[in-house]
Amino acid sequence: MRDDRLSQRILVDRMVKCLLMGVAVTVALVLVSIIWFVASRGIGAINWTFLTSLQGSPGDLKVGILNAMLGTVMVAGFTTLVVVPFGIWCGVAMAEYPAHPLVKWAVMGMDALQSIPSILFGILAYLWLVVPMGHFSSLSGSVALAMIMLPIVVRSVEESVKQVPVTLREASLALGASPTRTILKIVIPSGLNGIVTGALLGLGRIVGETAPLLFTAFGSPFLVASVLEPVQTMPLLIYNYATSPYPDWQQMGWGASFILLVFCFMLGVFTRFLVRK
Amino acid sequence: MTTTFDVSQLKVRIGSEPIIKGISMSFFSHTVTSIMGPSGCGKTTFIRCMNRLHELVPNIQVEGSISLCNQDIFSVNPMVIRRQVGMVFQRPNPFPTMSIFDNVIAGYRLNGLPLSKPDALRVVELSLNKAGLWHEVKDVLHRKGAFLSGGQQQRLCIARALAMDPSVLLLDEPTSALDPKSTAHIEDLIAELKESVSIIMVTHNIGQASRVSDYTAFLLGGELIEYGTTQKLFTVPDDPRTEEYLSRKFGA
Amino acid sequence: MGSSPIVGSNLMTGVGGFVHHNRWFKWGLLMGPCALITLVAWMVVTFGMAAWPSVSELGLGFYVTDVWDPVHDIYGGAVFIVGSILTTALAILLAAPVSFAIALFTGYYFCNGPIAMVAQWVLDLLASVPSVIFGFWGLIVLVPMIRLIETHLGVPPYGVGLFAASMVLALMMTPLMASLLRDIILTVPADLKEGALALGATSFEVVKHVVWPHTLPGMVSAIMLGVGRAIGETMAVTMVIGNANHWPTHLFDPSNTIASLIASDFGETSDPLVISHLIHLGLVLLVLSLVTGFLGRRLVRITRA
Repeated sequence: MRDDRLSQRILVDRMVKCLLMGVAVTVALVLVSIIWFVASRGIGAINWTFLTSLQGSPGDLKVGILNAMLGTVMVAGFTTLVVVPFGIWCGVAMAEYPAHPLVKWAVMGMDALQSIPSILFGILAYLWLVVPMGHFSSLSGSVALAMIMLPIVVRSVEESVKQVPVTLREASLALGASPTRTILKIVIPSGLNGIVTGALLGLGRIVGETAPLLFTAFGSPFLVASVLEPVQTMPLLIYNYATSPYPDWQQMGWGASFILLVFCFMLGVFTRFLVRK
Repeated sequence: MTTTFDVSQLKVRIGSEPIIKGISMSFFSHTVTSIMGPSGCGKTTFIRCMNRLHELVPNIQVEGSISLCNQDIFSVNPMVIRRQVGMVFQRPNPFPTMSIFDNVIAGYRLNGLPLSKPDALRVVELSLNKAGLWHEVKDVLHRKGAFLSGGQQQRLCIARALAMDPSVLLLDEPTSALDPKSTAHIEDLIAELKESVSIIMVTHNIGQASRVSDYTAFLLGGELIEYGTTQKLFTVPDDPRTEEYLSRKFGA
Repeated sequence: MGSSPIVGSNLMTGVGGFVHHNRWFKWGLLMGPCALITLVAWMVVTFGMAAWPSVSELGLGFYVTDVWDPVHDIYGGAVFIVGSILTTALAILLAAPVSFAIALFTGYYFCNGPIAMVAQWVLDLLASVPSVIFGFWGLIVLVPMIRLIETHLGVPPYGVGLFAASMVLALMMTPLMASLLRDIILTVPADLKEGALALGATSFEVVKHVVWPHTLPGMVSAIMLGVGRAIGETMAVTMVIGNANHWPTHLFDPSNTIASLIASDFGETSDPLVISHLIHLGLVLLVLSLVTGFLGRRLVRITRA
């Protein structure tokens, strides 16, 4: 009697294990196949012309994604330049005065920001900038992306500052340094690793964003020098080309997808490497 | 004999809990004074009052007075006191983002006191020599200190404190995180240093207190039980509680 | 070592407030969080003001009208609200058990060793794939496959629709949820698992009686967080849901969600009232996301404690 139950239990155990493994492996394979598909379709589209030409119009011969790549750099770069200093500012304040009511409210505000779907930030930037300005611009796109990136950076900075060992602060104070100098010259530099990681995490997130840019940066076939003009980014281009009826444009979309994917992966690997340090 | 710190009726509370219950004593210059006692007796709190680092603890309240060379330390900006009084902590804490060289003169940098290059070199060499570390690091001054052993890092911290030319050096269990060899090194160092700087040291190692210090204070439950020359305290203590503490530690 | 309240390690967390910066620096620092709060408040005000024309014009009827007809000037949000909820619910229904399976795989059965490391790596990389690429893949690979299924089932072979959107969403949610759940599974104390094994339990029984009950609250919070993400997911859904502004009558019917409606129509219309309607819907999405986000975080805090 006891033996029967035992072999039955072992059977159940094996079955469950197989089932779980089957499910896990299947889904993992599907997910990996997506990557494979993008890579296989995309690599074929990449050549020198592709990387150095502008978007052009349907039927143009010399077309490429240069304006999209540069546009992504422009929008993401501008966002990073604005968000990182402000993020350090807020993060340090939140780490230094966690009990202050202003800080408690700010933490709640940040939690709220993190739950908001990115397209709604697009609406906000539209209302704040596109409407008054009367036209689309990479500036409004940067503003939308900034609100996505900010909580990520602030969180990272706060964690990073909190993790600097108290004994370093004590050593600095014992030498006669003011608390302010201690923060600026000892604590923040010691937390630099975490701050950079936060910036990279935020960057990785916004580089792939499309929705908030749909009606802010909007897209443009030109090379743009000013933040006051609409600009094309990689995800926007992919969206446009993916949903277009032209097979050669779709092919370009795969090429752009592959490049974007590789970039996101490399950023992720680099960030993980920094965290290990 | 001149005194460095004069403590009068010091009482320290955290919230409503008393930590130090009225200590009065004077520390003498050019001596090494050990403060010893069981865990929780308040010796760490006490030593941290000397350079006002106790103020890092929330809800802490202090009554009574502490004077450094006749200057009430509570009436001036704490930074003023901390520039005259150096501190070395239990765990070595050199600044990880700075080279050995920069660590030694960190006090100047952090206080915004400019040092010309030749002056900086002079201070670094002098301090590292006093701390007995110069010969081991003179060729690697511009590397970051992470590769140094625990004992070397602690001597670096001592050099850093000495670079400010303090009149008193506070040591908070400076060797409890170190191996016996480094401990011996630092004990020798302490004996040499008292020529130039007065030393107040918290220790839970009775042997260390007896080897190194001229005077010893025994704290228990936030009170000063006995204070006198090390020789007297260890051989013929006045208070039975001192005797009990010493024998329990020495004995079984 | 005694537990002296003043020893450094006790001050390791929450140094703030103990260190007295000079007043200028302190208030200068606090201006940052102050600006942040002002920003968020201004966001809410902007949204409210922009949605107001729609709210005052249509009131509560907006939430139950299921027609969105620009030609006849009838606007109602019911289809999209339900669409968002339906796609999210289906996606989570698919993603949760699969994520749990993967999490058990990497957190329990093979939690040490190369398989777990590689799997974790792969999951993290997958979580960084931009949603537009998922949508692209869905459009080119998944939709034709669904079309085949639909012709077999005798259903109009659109390919795009509720099913496609839910599947893509589920695939997107899985790496995230699997990572979250794995972290939670790893918190099950070893001695509980070992205790059960020592009593003769099979590994499945350990899962059933020890791991599952322990991770249940964490599972709920992971689901909440997944829901919060899925409900606002725009690009991938827009590309495969079919953008049909009517109720789905069956699983494979095209439909629409709030986010994808906004994505497709916001830049297209110039009628300010319609824009206000869209923003009104955006406000609904905002509220739904904030509520699920809040609940998710609450639950995470409870499980961490």
